[in-house]
Amino acid sequence: MKVEFTPEQEALRTELRAYFDELMTPELRAEVDATPGEGGGELFWQAMDKLGKDGWIGVGWSKERGGRGMTAFEQMIFIEEVMRAGFPFPFLTTESVGPILADNASERMRDLLVPKILEGKLIMAIAYSEPGSGTDLASLTTTAIRDGDEWVIKGQKIFTSLAQHADYVWIAARTNQDPAVKKHKGISIFLVPTTAEGYDRTPIHTLGDVTTNATYYDNVRIPADHLVGELDAGWKLITSQLNRERLSLVNCGPVSQLLNETMQWADKNHYTNGKRVLDEPWVQMNLAKVRVGIEALKLMCYKQAWSITNDKLEMADASAAKVYGTEFFIEAYRLLAEVLGQVANEHLDSKGVQLRGRLEMMYRTASIITFGGGANEIQRDIISAAGLWMPRASR
Amino acid sequence: MDFSFSEQQQDVQNLARQILTEEVSAERQDVVDQQPDRFDKALWAKLAEAGLLGVSIAEKNGGMGFNFTELCFFIEEAGRTVAPIPVIPVLVSAALPIQQFGSVEQQRRLLQPLASGKTLITTAFMEPMGEDPATPLTQARPQGAGYVVNGVKTAVPLAHLSERVLISAKTDNGVVALMINPRAEGVTLVPLKVTSGEPQSEMRLENVLVATCDVLAGPEQGGELMTWAAQRTIVAYAAMQVGVSDKSMRMTASYTAERQQFGVPIATFQAVGHRAANCFIDVECLKLTAYQAASLLEADVDASTEVEIAKVWAGDVGHRVSFASQHLHGGIGIDKDYPLWRYCLWARHIELTLGSSASTLAKLGEKIAKGEAYVS
Repeated sequence: MKVEFTPEQEALRTELRAYFDELMTPELRAEVDATPGEGGGELFWQAMDKLGKDGWIGVGWSKERGGRGMTAFEQMIFIEEVMRAGFPFPFLTTESVGPILADNASERMRDLLVPKILEGKLIMAIAYSEPGSGTDLASLTTTAIRDGDEWVIKGQKIFTSLAQHADYVWIAARTNQDPAVKKHKGISIFLVPTTAEGYDRTPIHTLGDVTTNATYYDNVRIPADHLVGELDAGWKLITSQLNRERLSLVNCGPVSQLLNETMQWADKNHYTNGKRVLDEPWVQMNLAKVRVGIEALKLMCYKQAWSITNDKLEMADASAAKVYGTEFFIEAYRLLAEVLGQVANEHLDSKGVQLRGRLEMMYRTASIITFGGGANEIQRDIISAAGLWMPRASR
Repeated sequence: MDFSFSEQQQDVQNLARQILTEEVSAERQDVVDQQPDRFDKALWAKLAEAGLLGVSIAEKNGGMGFNFTELCFFIEEAGRTVAPIPVIPVLVSAALPIQQFGSVEQQRRLLQPLASGKTLITTAFMEPMGEDPATPLTQARPQGAGYVVNGVKTAVPLAHLSERVLISAKTDNGVVALMINPRAEGVTLVPLKVTSGEPQSEMRLENVLVATCDVLAGPEQGGELMTWAAQRTIVAYAAMQVGVSDKSMRMTASYTAERQQFGVPIATFQAVGHRAANCFIDVECLKLTAYQAASLLEADVDASTEVEIAKVWAGDVGHRVSFASQHLHGGIGIDKDYPLWRYCLWARHIELTLGSSASTLAKLGEKIAKGEAYVS
């Protein structure tokens, strides 16, 4: 056991931090701050182009697939730095769906899409949830029916994030209606071009200003080779995609950056009585609590990235990190906002805004991932069953 | 970054687990409880025989010569069985600084009998209203090449059974680290009765003479020694808390899987499963922060922030898992015929030893105020 970065890992982190310091010009920062979590602006695409040219997309992909061939651990270091920098890197496309697509899509689709992903020119949206299917994903009802050389997709999806910028939707649809077949064994994954006839979307505006979408599939016809992987075997792709996604969700880069910035803020700012904010004992206590919480999260992520690299990922550990991280974020943002006081309620566009309005924004977006990526209640069920061997209620 | 255990670490873990689970039965614990001291001498001898007392004592001093992490793995197992043995005060707080700072003569004289289980050397880190051994009130006045000591130490584990007690004392020139003979003239031991049942004493020192051979570090190094030893002691307690809390959590998982109410195992209630899941997350956080600190101390890098972080987790997790376990057990959790209660007492013992969560957070906060604890 050696809970320290190797010199190579340390060097990678240093290199990436410097790289993103340079990439994040004030103009790009202003553009991405204005559309939280989304990207899609002109400067964003220029930055994606540069990231692609510099070989930073697909850090963890194999060299044969055009990536850098690094391990999941280096990939996590990359994500930590990109998130710390505040760049809305489309990691769901590049790190989560991407490698699975590369391994499972038809040859034609793979050759068409993979280079574009690695060049930073293509974003995918993921369409799993439906108005009646969230964490209980196996209950989804969108159908795909084979008709000659095509598949016909019919149904409605909700919370299809990034669909407004996406070229393709990675969609889960039911391909087997046989009631004797278990629900999760009749689902397949397809690639739906957002230009297809019968496809439509309407934006959903959220509390956190992040735009997501409802997407509609009115007998959308797609070629047969837009099926990804085996027919009816989509569940496996979904779960392995979600495992990768969860690790990125609780990456500690952004909260670490925010703590450091809050400490600097509290060092520079004084109350009307002349006292430095950082000299208040309660401020020190709040900051110390966040510092203590971050360390555990960091180690959980490191351990998981190490486990994925060594093919030892335990289901309960992945769920534990997801629950801990998402709930810790909420507590951490609160403790940090208390340090800033009322100014933590000022929006990015407001006159007196501090720390680029991050804490105000975080307050409004933090709850997304406690239910997103699989509700924490279900993650706790997984932990007690898979980690502690406790029997579960049948449902 | 490598989270796997080396073969050596696994060997220590397996050996410790095997001996401790075989030896520390509920019946045996009850017998030890009936004795005036909560100290299982026969178990101590058995661990000595297996070489475990010398896990991180150098081979030249009669040990195995392994690292601090291996010692922590052994201590974690001791926690998992709440074995009535003074692994931390003797093997960590006393033996490690003797090995690191003691003269060759002191090492030879003190460590070999300690590793073979013949003698105990304990440590007095606490004073009334004083939890930092690097800033003692106890005074030492040079006399000849030795010292005369006056002061009070408290919560001293197994003092009356020990050959020597490692203490700190202040002089005009700095803090010194001395070995007190608890039978020396001027030493009074007043037995304390404490939650965990550990035999502790208050040790009053009135003009106690300490000979040169029992001076472990003079004023130029005594403070550093105490901080060094306290950090390792804190991390060892965190490792022990991993064992204590992991075991009480798993005991709870098994119990709730068996215990039926309303015709089903209570583990199938989401409210029960979720509280246990929270314990699982807590234990994982404690384990990772404790072993990060151990790993950094072993590498001999500055780890004071990581040690403090592990200490806060050890206190908080010990507290939360202990009460969740008791609650989920219902009445059986407090029944002395069922082993959970012992775990609760030890979780508390660890929680309040060498600083609480709150006082440690305050220390970390002071460091933050000085700009010394940024996240890298």
